Amino acid sequence: MKELFPLKQVMGFAFSLVLTVVALMVYFTDMSYTMGMTVLLITAFVQAGLQVVVFMHAGETKDKASIYINIYYALIIALFTIFGTLLVLVWDM
Amino acid sequence: MKVDNSLPLEYSTEENNLKILGFWIFIGAEIMLFATLFTAYFTLENRTGNGPTGAEIFEITPVLIETILLLTSSFTIGLGIHAMRLNKKKATMGFFIVTLLLGTAFLGVEIYEFTHYVHVGAGLQTSAFTAALLTTLGTHGLHVTLGLFWGLSILIQIKKRGLTPETANKSFIFSLYWHFLDIIWIFIFSFIYLKGMM
Repeated sequence: MKELFPLKQVMGFAFSLVLTVVALMVYFTDMSYTMGMTVLLITAFVQAGLQVVVFMHAGETKDKASIYINIYYALIIALFTIFGTLLVLVWDM
Repeated sequence: MKVDNSLPLEYSTEENNLKILGFWIFIGAEIMLFATLFTAYFTLENRTGNGPTGAEIFEITPVLIETILLLTSSFTIGLGIHAMRLNKKKATMGFFIVTLLLGTAFLGVEIYEFTHYVHVGAGLQTSAFTAALLTTLGTHGLHVTLGLFWGLSILIQIKKRGLTPETANKSFIFSLYWHFLDIIWIFIFSFIYLKGMM
């Protein structure tokens, strides 16, 4: 039975629950907008990275480099789309 | 077909390797899809017109339940892949069943949430905010729905054919998809709900 629950994945799950609780602090405590957004950005991206590395086994094979280049590329396009649009349409810069 | 026995089943042939890499590239495209939805949402979140704002309609309890359900299902599918690598067919199927049940429960809470929104007057056509909100949540929900049927058919294949290089490869790719949906939910949870209620 024990071999079905590898420590690495159990720890990964526990850590993701901790990150969720930390993220919840922005709701349950009185935080400034900047502080709250900083907390959320950190917890969300750490949690996403945790999923990719621990659960999705991204770095296990010879395709490791291709997989990471692809994900970083997608992420750059995603961030450019979101922040580019916000810069022009919302923040009016 | 050349089978390399030193690797886990899902990577054991060249074709299997290429399928996994191909799916990662598909996930890259999915990241961009959700980026455009988040872009629309962040641009329109304050355009509430005569409709309610996010802070008025979001409820922490169902959102928290959804988050725990999806986070746990992401953990159990990971355990399923681990069991698959130990060549334990029954345990693999067990973890897949738990994952699909958690996914179904998630979908149930999300459907409740949607009826609640419509009930309090936040339908798809109420304002730019509700349109962007429901489209983003709905696209994620649709992915989960699709994933439930996909996972179920893989479960049936494992039962019928056992753990072969083909079924192991399909299961692994499905697990990538399921983890990806959890990642998207983390961003929805953080930057739609928590940000909206902050």
